Amino acid sequence: MFIRLVADSFSRRPRHKLLTGAALALGMAVATAALSVSLDVGDRLAREFRSLGANLVVTPQADSLPLEIGGVDYRPVNAGAYLPESDLGKLKTIFWRNNIVALAPALEISDQVTSHSHGDKPGGDGNSWGRVPLIGTWVSHTLSLADGTNWQTGVDRTNPWWTITKGGWFTDGTAECVVGKNLARKHGAWVGGHFLPGLPVGDNLIVNLHADGTPLSLKIVGILDTGGPEDDAVIVPLATAQAIAGRPGAYRQLYVSALTKPEDDFGRRDPSTLAPADYDRWFCTPYISSIALQIRQVLPGADVRVIRRVADGEGAILTRVRTLLWLVTFASLLAAALAVGASSAASVIERRTEIGLMKALGAGSGTVGFLLAAEQLLLAFVGGGLGYALGILLARFVGQKIFGVAPGFSFLVLAVTIGLAAIVTLLGSAIPLRRASRYEPAPILRGE
Amino acid sequence: MPDRKMFWRIIRRLLSANRGRLFVILLALAAGAAITAALLNLQVDAKRRLTTEFRTLGANVVIAPAESGTPESAQFLNDSLFADLSEGMDTSSIPKAEFLYGIVKVAKTPDVSAQSSARLPVTKDQNSGASRDVILAGFAYSGNRPEQVLSPVLVAATQKMVETNIPICDAGERAAAALKLRTGDTVALMNGSKKITCQVQTLPSVGSAEDSQIFLDLRAAQALLDQPGRISLIQLSVPGRPREIQDRIASLRRLPGVDVRPIRQFTEGEAKIYDRISGILSATVALVLVLTALCVMAAMTNVAMERRNDVGLMKAIGGATRRVLRLFVAEAALLGLTGGLLGGAAGILISIWLGKQVFGVSAQPRLIVYPVAVALTIIVAIAGAYPLRRLANIRPAAVFRGEG
Repeated sequence: MFIRLVADSFSRRPRHKLLTGAALALGMAVATAALSVSLDVGDRLAREFRSLGANLVVTPQADSLPLEIGGVDYRPVNAGAYLPESDLGKLKTIFWRNNIVALAPALEISDQVTSHSHGDKPGGDGNSWGRVPLIGTWVSHTLSLADGTNWQTGVDRTNPWWTITKGGWFTDGTAECVVGKNLARKHGAWVGGHFLPGLPVGDNLIVNLHADGTPLSLKIVGILDTGGPEDDAVIVPLATAQAIAGRPGAYRQLYVSALTKPEDDFGRRDPSTLAPADYDRWFCTPYISSIALQIRQVLPGADVRVIRRVADGEGAILTRVRTLLWLVTFASLLAAALAVGASSAASVIERRTEIGLMKALGAGSGTVGFLLAAEQLLLAFVGGGLGYALGILLARFVGQKIFGVAPGFSFLVLAVTIGLAAIVTLLGSAIPLRRASRYEPAPILRGE
Repeated sequence: MPDRKMFWRIIRRLLSANRGRLFVILLALAAGAAITAALLNLQVDAKRRLTTEFRTLGANVVIAPAESGTPESAQFLNDSLFADLSEGMDTSSIPKAEFLYGIVKVAKTPDVSAQSSARLPVTKDQNSGASRDVILAGFAYSGNRPEQVLSPVLVAATQKMVETNIPICDAGERAAAALKLRTGDTVALMNGSKKITCQVQTLPSVGSAEDSQIFLDLRAAQALLDQPGRISLIQLSVPGRPREIQDRIASLRRLPGVDVRPIRQFTEGEAKIYDRISGILSATVALVLVLTALCVMAAMTNVAMERRNDVGLMKAIGGATRRVLRLFVAEAALLGLTGGLLGGAAGILISIWLGKQVFGVSAQPRLIVYPVAVALTIIVAIAGAYPLRRLANIRPAAVFRGEG
């Protein structure tokens, strides 16, 4: 009888049920979308912040004091210490290896550079640039890891704001180079005795090799814009820089871009003072300082420093934005709950006559309440389920629009959506139901 | 105008007859308005605050000489440029710092008290007395919140030096480690025949080139490096939205003989993150408005059902459908106005509190938000009254016969 009554109520007034269900589904869709976007947004934003560049820098411990002005080191090549390039794969073996987004080693030298146009004879009179900083690094370099997989990384991932304005990046292991835009603007090409400002891509640069004095010819494949001191430098593959410096397999600085958790009070504590249990917790949290420690453990002789400017700025902004987004999500959940509650309240008020009739036929307040609650719950599950599906689509759209990536599936969202739908419909119906249970059947049936 | 009088009388009756139901609608509208106003205010405020927050990343614009040089043939800017920027009407409050770089020799001077107590002739200690090359950075700053472009320790050091008149040189973490310097040591900085003695203060590690530099007050550094009135570069922390920063850079570019470079690492990263966050906030505000409309629509459907008899009667005694509908739209607008006024005020109060929770500073109420929120609520209320349109199709006869 109970099931028949419920089924009857749905089949008799399908339009009404449809309307209430639609309101419920829409409300829940918005709740789902808000929830899944904001669950996802923290990670996405953290990734977004990596566009600020590396947050860790690794230098040799035994290094002499760098004489660096404007990002270019003026120490002679034989001064200072180096780190072995072969150790870099170990960075992807640390506990938080998946949080290491990118890394790029750098070897900076400065050397005599002469530019040659395409038509020039090798060894002919070139256009001498004098001493120019050369930076050797990786671009889309494939690193073979210990677990047999390959990982692509390089300065194009650590420093996404480095853009090639003309041409393209050099290929690893070739005699190619990329010239900073200021250098390229300053130096032009001599064509038929006339100076043309602006360096054409495709020219060759001649660099004197330190080791045995034989000049090395590098093909210019692109012009680089970084907005930093690299605009006045020539960027070459790391292997080329090592050959020029006579330091095979060595690098001087390593930039690491890692996903981190903003440092809180616990993260700022000195790990050596922590109790073992706390130390484990600290070690297993991706704080920038614990990742720095883990890198120090796998790179012997290296000094790992946090680039405070990037790390602190990121931490401060991320913490605030996360709080803000949670508040906003909470507000939209509240609004969704309000909408659904109001529509379910409306659907109960409509049925006064029916309630009166049921009571006149001898149904108790409890039975009536139970019946209506069951109906509302059924509606909540159907509407909530539909709303969830709709909300996931909405979240995909919003996620795609804002971050270019759809948020992943989360069971939590499904559970919260269905649970919220059930609670809110019941709460929304409870107040009119209570009033309904006090109705006197006679006046209602008389139509008063 | 008896017609208008009648109109308002009916509205009054409509509002007072259905008090319970209308209270629900009013509540929904007010809550919707509150959330909308809070989010709108927070959105305007949060975007502004975010741009302030981004300045914790530090300087985002560098002014350098148009021609860059090497240490042998370094190019300089004139000191007066910085003074002009500091006094310019629209650039005076921007945090900025000027730097002069040069290579000097550093030697740790033996501890004066130890020397006097031992009464030994000063011998050249290979570890502490040997001079080493180091980068000297002369610095000066101006503008509000200089800690955005300079380590707070340096800012404090300058103030201390003004008070005590003892030259302080601040050693970066790596420089201090390499030269074995501790806070309180005295060192001699030498450039050719020029020499300056100062008290060391060590700086915490920042992970960039500053770690291996020694900082000295700009005037002293200019004298030591024999570059009076010259500086190597100026760093600015330009506040504002990405567009405003671009405008400021464009206006700075008009200065003669200088190269104004945005630090693209920060200007571009900032612009990207800012777009993302404001996108999320705008999307949420839109969603909440849709929800409020939904809420009102549900309640209005209900009202429409109840009004069948009233509408039937009105039509039976000659009320035109248009006039009847106008009545209900006016009612909805009135509800929207009341809900919007109440809710909007509440929402702005909420946002002030929320702003305090998120950014530590209470959000400034934006007056523009209030009318916008009220207007939006009225629109939502009228849109939500759409179910009342169904009343237009009511046939009075059917209603009076008691048919559904």
